[in-house]
Amino acid sequence: MPKFPSEEWARQYVEKLNSSEAYRDSGKKWEGDITFVIQKDEGNPTDSFLYLDLYHGECRKYLYSANPDDVPKSEFRYIGKYSNWIKLIHSEIDPIKGVLTGKFKLEGSMMKIMRFSKAAKDMVNTATMVPFEG
Amino acid sequence: MWYFRSPQIVYGPDSLSFLQTIGISRAAIITDSTLAASGIVQKVIQSLPENASSKVFSGFSPEPDFLQIKSNLEGVNAFRPDWIIGVGGGSSMDAAKIIFAMYEKPDLQVYDITPLSPLGLRKKSRLIAVPTTSGTGSECSWAAVISEREEKRKNELASPEILPDYAILDPEMVINLPRQQTVSTSVDAITHAIESYTSSWNNPYSDALSEKALELILGSLVQVVEGNGDIESRDRVHIGASMAGLSFSNSQIGMAHALGHAFGAIFKKPHGTSVGLFLPEVVALNSRASRERYDRLNRIFPDSFREGNLQSSLKKLFARIGQPLTVKEAGIGRKEMESNRDALVSLAMESTGMLTNPYEAGTDEVRETLERCYGY
Ligand SMILES: [Fe+2]
Repeated sequence: MPKFPSEEWARQYVEKLNSSEAYRDSGKKWEGDITFVIQKDEGNPTDSFLYLDLYHGECRKYLYSANPDDVPKSEFRYIGKYSNWIKLIHSEIDPIKGVLTGKFKLEGSMMKIMRFSKAAKDMVNTATMVPFEG
Repeated sequence: MWYFRSPQIVYGPDSLSFLQTIGISRAAIITDSTLAASGIVQKVIQSLPENASSKVFSGFSPEPDFLQIKSNLEGVNAFRPDWIIGVGGGSSMDAAKIIFAMYEKPDLQVYDITPLSPLGLRKKSRLIAVPTTSGTGSECSWAAVISEREEKRKNELASPEILPDYAILDPEMVINLPRQQTVSTSVDAITHAIESYTSSWNNPYSDALSEKALELILGSLVQVVEGNGDIESRDRVHIGASMAGLSFSNSQIGMAHALGHAFGAIFKKPHGTSVGLFLPEVVALNSRASRERYDRLNRIFPDSFREGNLQSSLKKLFARIGQPLTVKEAGIGRKEMESNRDALVSLAMESTGMLTNPYEAGTDEVRETLERCYGY
């Protein structure tokens, strides 16, 4: 099982996302990139970044790195502490409630993301399906 | 971690007189043109403190859009109110919420009204909602729906900061509500109670409010609709509708609202009529995920309407009060429906109602549910 976060976890996540029927359906009109930012805390000593280039229900390209300079600037960023990410991928935090309660931050055009809220939810839900070692 | 949010609620006969007690000096009243010409807005003005000045802003149609908000905002800015009072149905109260936010923060773009970042309101004024229909629940919610004229789209804006400070539920404001509006707005309230009860964000507060809301509404609705209602039965439906509003505001809505918003935007049908049209079939679809909860709600139906399942009970009630059960009964022809079908489904899929629907429906299932409501 891959460690979270890691290059191997990212690879498996993208594989799952690209085989998710729910995401292919809800994201079919989406064009834009997003970066998952996993901020360091007591559980994990470094920040990590997972960049995803998403187009019409598919992830065309991804990049995982612990160096922010390695990942392209993206239209959206979904940011949270490592321990909250762990809760999220255990389905203990709902991705939207997470933002509404301040556990996560979402940067980018709200107008656009609100219209694709189901796609955003399916995208985060996919993260709960990748087995990992905490 | 989650919240329960509510305005302070003033309810019952004579509750408008509360306005005299909160030190209002300049009240901007946001309402629609029909109400402004009626005695209803006058009642609100007469309830203000004697030395208060007030100005009515009524340049809103029943479905206000961005342009109307903008054109009224200048006048509101010039008037410099310390209270903004939305008087009307959902649209007027929603317009008041948006005007309030933009008056408070002139640099705000309307799409910045999201729950995802703090707005910093209430520096100059506070917000009151006085509903004149029993149904939308807007007086208790932190959401506002606004139309886009060119795009046939309804946008859902939300922020905890646009939740009114006070909701005033005076039954005098609804006692003369015409039959058709009574039906469509109460169907909206019933839909709120049911959708919030089965939303994936349901919680003990919304559960209690939904159950009591249904009990109050179902127990008095037929009397009220058929014109045999006294002020007490109007009051029960009015309170029930606001409870349903509080319920969904704290746990969200579902697919009947997703389809209803899309249908209402395309065919210009009242909100309650539109969501109610889809509710029974949405309940049928969602039953695979929330059968037990629907059964609990079905037990709240009075004997005269209770059938073996919630979907059938709803159909029986709707038929009795004159809520259309099919797209055909709602007056939309087959050709017109077919040519708008795909646009409607894709609008529904974009609605936030799809996020918390108890059953995760994809595009095909949403389209099939819509088609089951055709009636051709
Ligand atoms: Fe509604």
